Amino acid sequence: MDKFPAAFGQNFSGASEDFPALLRRKDLLSAAATIDRAGRGPRSREPSWAPTEATTILAFKFSGGVLVAGDRRATAGNVVVYDRADKVLEVDRNSIMAIAGVPATAWEMARVLEHSFQYFRRTQLQEMSVDGKVRALSKLLRDNFGFVMQGVGMVVPIFATYDSNSSPEARLYFYDAMGAQFEATDYAATGSGSPAVRGILYYANHWGEKSLKELDENEAVAITLRALDTAAESDTATGGVDRTGKIFPIIKIVSRDGITTLPEEKIAAVFKKSVA
Amino acid sequence: MIEEPYRWVEAIANRREYIETQLAAGSPIAAVGYRGGILFLTLGQARQKIFEIYDRIAMGAIGHPGDIERLRMGAIELASTEGFTRSAADVSLRRLAHYSLSPVMKSAFEQVYGAPFLARLLFAEVGAHPEDDLFLRVEYDGGIATNGATFAQVRQNFAVLSGTRQSTELMESFLKTEHAPGATFEEAFKTALDAWSIGHLALQKDDAKDLPERATVTKYRQEQLAATGIEAAILERDASAAIRFRPIPDKEARVLTGD
Repeated sequence: MDKFPAAFGQNFSGASEDFPALLRRKDLLSAAATIDRAGRGPRSREPSWAPTEATTILAFKFSGGVLVAGDRRATAGNVVVYDRADKVLEVDRNSIMAIAGVPATAWEMARVLEHSFQYFRRTQLQEMSVDGKVRALSKLLRDNFGFVMQGVGMVVPIFATYDSNSSPEARLYFYDAMGAQFEATDYAATGSGSPAVRGILYYANHWGEKSLKELDENEAVAITLRALDTAAESDTATGGVDRTGKIFPIIKIVSRDGITTLPEEKIAAVFKKSVA
Repeated sequence: MIEEPYRWVEAIANRREYIETQLAAGSPIAAVGYRGGILFLTLGQARQKIFEIYDRIAMGAIGHPGDIERLRMGAIELASTEGFTRSAADVSLRRLAHYSLSPVMKSAFEQVYGAPFLARLLFAEVGAHPEDDLFLRVEYDGGIATNGATFAQVRQNFAVLSGTRQSTELMESFLKTEHAPGATFEEAFKTALDAWSIGHLALQKDDAKDLPERATVTKYRQEQLAATGIEAAILERDASAAIRFRPIPDKEARVLTGD
């Protein structure tokens, strides 16, 4: 008996295959880049063009869930490419991925991740566990490592999710470029402007009037804006808050009720009161 | 032997009869459009029969679990890869059914040395407006019935799936008179529940030609509700979220029955 003619495999088995594997089978996702024994990619050399990377993203737990924020600037070398980049992405109803690194790779990763979670739920008829989601991102980073070694495609994300069945309910992870995942208890920041942000968050958490997890929403937004503004002060790759163009960072909050994106007016009001 | 045309026709006819007998016991599923979306409803306790396929597409099925599973996986696989490579807006039920499911089911049905799909599927895709909703039934032989995507037909905002033709037709004629296009969710829920009762009642009889009395339906509905669980899900029209599918837990559905 010959095979079915349509674009429709005879051997569907959602159980044995994850979404990236499905994409590879259908030639819709490039194979994982390989690296040689010396740890180099196929052709390890300086890229002839400057990839767009470097940024600041941060996330911390506060009284209303997990706040995830990112500046809006995208750079290539010393050139500002774009000042309205969205680096804080919703991957499902209660998970946020924030990206520092090469946008092309990062957005593609977010897209694969988003579809992976949906695909798992639809085929397996249950939600993917938090650990499963965290691991899925880790695997994508690991598969991408060959490109990182070639000097292109470095991505260092933060992943925040809320799961009412786990303890603690709010979960926050950051990654290195090879895919190692680290669970953060209070806060995380990555990207070129992150040293300044980590300093501020560490200080606020230990010696501030309240620790980060006790902050209310307005206080949390205020410290976020202050931290990004500080990062932008010394790091040219971080946009901070553009006071003339009225471009504000993207701030999203994930809580038991799902994800909320703070409206610009609200951020502007906090900015006016506590930062400017 | 089936190289002879007559033998082939005979083999196909036997196969059709066999599949119809296998599907005859299948508990009906009603899909009705209402102002805020599309509701899928059935009663039962054996296994799940209403599934999410993609952001705006849901499926109900009766038949062999193994076959349903293969078709469901295939549909999800196609929709997901399409949605990934292009966009969620490019995933369309019309294309999914006409270009992929129907040809596959037809050839499986007609290749008499292989196994056919023992399944009957009901799909719905929620649109921006009630008149954009698409309902579609795919038969085990690849045949497709829609709610009227052509200008020649009056568009219906419901579709049903049942074990026998008789049961299907009774449910359809009930919904044709009882279900209003602008119905609220609560109204749609009650109508769907009654449609299910009529369809299920018709499966118990050999000669159910006419719609049963109102009181009979109500009594039957109450008996069944006491004995089995409600399986329901909605596709929400509200475009603020990408994913429209939401299962309605039995507890939440019980409140809506009014019994």
